[in-house]
Amino acid sequence: MKLRLAPWIRPREAVGLLIVCAVLALAPLLHGNVYRHNLLTLTFIGIAAALAWNWLGGYLGQVSFGHAAMFGIGGFVTARVELSLGLPLVPAWIVGGVVAGLFALIWGHPTLRLRGPYFSIATIGVGEATRLVATYWDSFTGGSSGLSLPMQGNLKYTMYWYALVLAALALGASYALRRSPMGLALLAIKSDVDAASDVGVSATRLQDLVLFLSGSTIGVCGGFYASYFSYIEPGDMFGFDRSISWVLMGVIGGIGTIAGPALGAIIFVILRENLIAYYPQLYLGIYGLLLVLVILFEPLGLTGLFLRVFHRARPDLAVGGPVVEPPAATAAVSAPKTGEAK
Amino acid sequence: MERFFELLIAAVLLAGLYSTMAYGLGLIYGVLRIVNLNHGGMIMAGAYAGWYLHHALGIDPYVSLLLVTAVAFGVGIVIYRGLVHRLPRGAAGGVQSLLLLFGVWLIVRNVAYLLFTGNDQTLRTSYSTKAIAVGGALLSVNRIAVFGVAVAILAILHLVLTRTYVGKAIRAVAQNPDSCTLVGIPVERIYALTFGLGTGLAAAAGLLGSTLFPFNPSFGAAELLKSFVVVVLGGLGSVAGTAIAALILALVEVFAILVIPAYLTAAVGFVLLVLVLVVRPGGLFGQRVLG
Repeated sequence: MKLRLAPWIRPREAVGLLIVCAVLALAPLLHGNVYRHNLLTLTFIGIAAALAWNWLGGYLGQVSFGHAAMFGIGGFVTARVELSLGLPLVPAWIVGGVVAGLFALIWGHPTLRLRGPYFSIATIGVGEATRLVATYWDSFTGGSSGLSLPMQGNLKYTMYWYALVLAALALGASYALRRSPMGLALLAIKSDVDAASDVGVSATRLQDLVLFLSGSTIGVCGGFYASYFSYIEPGDMFGFDRSISWVLMGVIGGIGTIAGPALGAIIFVILRENLIAYYPQLYLGIYGLLLVLVILFEPLGLTGLFLRVFHRARPDLAVGGPVVEPPAATAAVSAPKTGEAK
Repeated sequence: MERFFELLIAAVLLAGLYSTMAYGLGLIYGVLRIVNLNHGGMIMAGAYAGWYLHHALGIDPYVSLLLVTAVAFGVGIVIYRGLVHRLPRGAAGGVQSLLLLFGVWLIVRNVAYLLFTGNDQTLRTSYSTKAIAVGGALLSVNRIAVFGVAVAILAILHLVLTRTYVGKAIRAVAQNPDSCTLVGIPVERIYALTFGLGTGLAAAAGLLGSTLFPFNPSFGAAELLKSFVVVVLGGLGSVAGTAIAALILALVEVFAILVIPAYLTAAVGFVLLVLVLVVRPGGLFGQRVLG
């Protein structure tokens, strides 16, 4: 029996992803280092969240500074569902994710209709307003003292594999959202909503769909986080720096690229463990400096850097095939080109 | 009924500050099509500058206002020339400028945190607690002064934009930068100037605000949002539109205290923003570009 893949899936890339996942799935049995195990688990969640942020911020160009709202809602709904209904983990995460996705639609549906930066500004408000309401809504979130969840013995260890599956699914979805025909539609919406609508792309429906997917995936991450730490608190779950961290992961890795944000999440975790942990009072400044530097010098982040190096080494393999450039105009031409490559 | 009048006057006085605050954001957006996310950072920086000059050197905030605004004007030009200027214009540049200026804001916040710690500060002057009675209601002298200065700033701006060559150039660039190049207006210089002007206004508003509210390094986030509400409500750059929109926001905020718990008032501006975006995305008075 021959497995038939959709034409936009490149077998080599699918196999590559499967191999990486298989290695990561077996890795804990080999290294047995608990610290590294936990760090990897959280990295996977970071990867899933950064990718989900990128669907909206990168593929559609609607940067969100308030995704922590959905993270927190996913987390608290999951916790409440687990506590009161006794649902098992996965269904509880799904419920949390769906509620978070619906919440995103409530405020996102109207603001996504507008051109320009309205959505981004609204997200700052959503993040703050949700955090405030959550902090004072004692009966739901437990107020500033938070919520505790029962913790089963070995659960934290096994959650590594759940996190891996979540990250792999998010990566698969990133791939599908970019390479499938729908990816082209998203690209069209990002470039010019009116032109896209003229050629029959349903901008409204697709934007809402991506927003829901992004919000619910972040919500599932929040639910996972709640189950993983078995204690959550509104100030942390809805925190502004949480929203910023996903922006940063996306920007470092390459905003709008398929796997860039995953890379960004890995770099971010390394950075946090090695730099920010020692200078906690500088973390906002470090985040800001990174944002400024990446946007100024390599708007596509690490992916852009790789593309550039790759392009120089093997021009015949670069995106768009060999490009013959007049020597004098190289600098001027290559800048817009990287922009088009995403 | 007396309470009603008190709240009404409080709202009007607050609206003066809000319109100055919002005008800086609207000016930059109207001319450069860029949302200055560092607006909140400059509001906060203005507040700290006023507080520091008063606290350390004993300079009255209304005296230091001119100095702080001028310095912030320079800072704005530096930010434009050094950073914003390098970004591509158009759709791709929109996202990039958002992220870039957001990064600048984070840096400014961190610097303020390092310099002044995260504690709340208040600017107290000898007249902070003075009040005069107007028609049975007690009015804080400082609030009236803030209102007066804010109105004066807006009036001067309006005159500059409508009567001077530079002001007309700014409005022309807002309408069509390409045509401006054709008739010899130095568009890049107007952009830098406008960015400086908007930044200066933010700092001025921050300084005025510091005499009314306690502030810390994260001061400015809510103010950025409020400014944006006013800009969306009032349309771009219209002084009258901005003033009316600021008044609406202030009225809604002040009277919301009567019906909802105090901690939720911070969310009022946001709810208003979403409502306006849904009902009248072009603003209350349609899209007007500066003047």
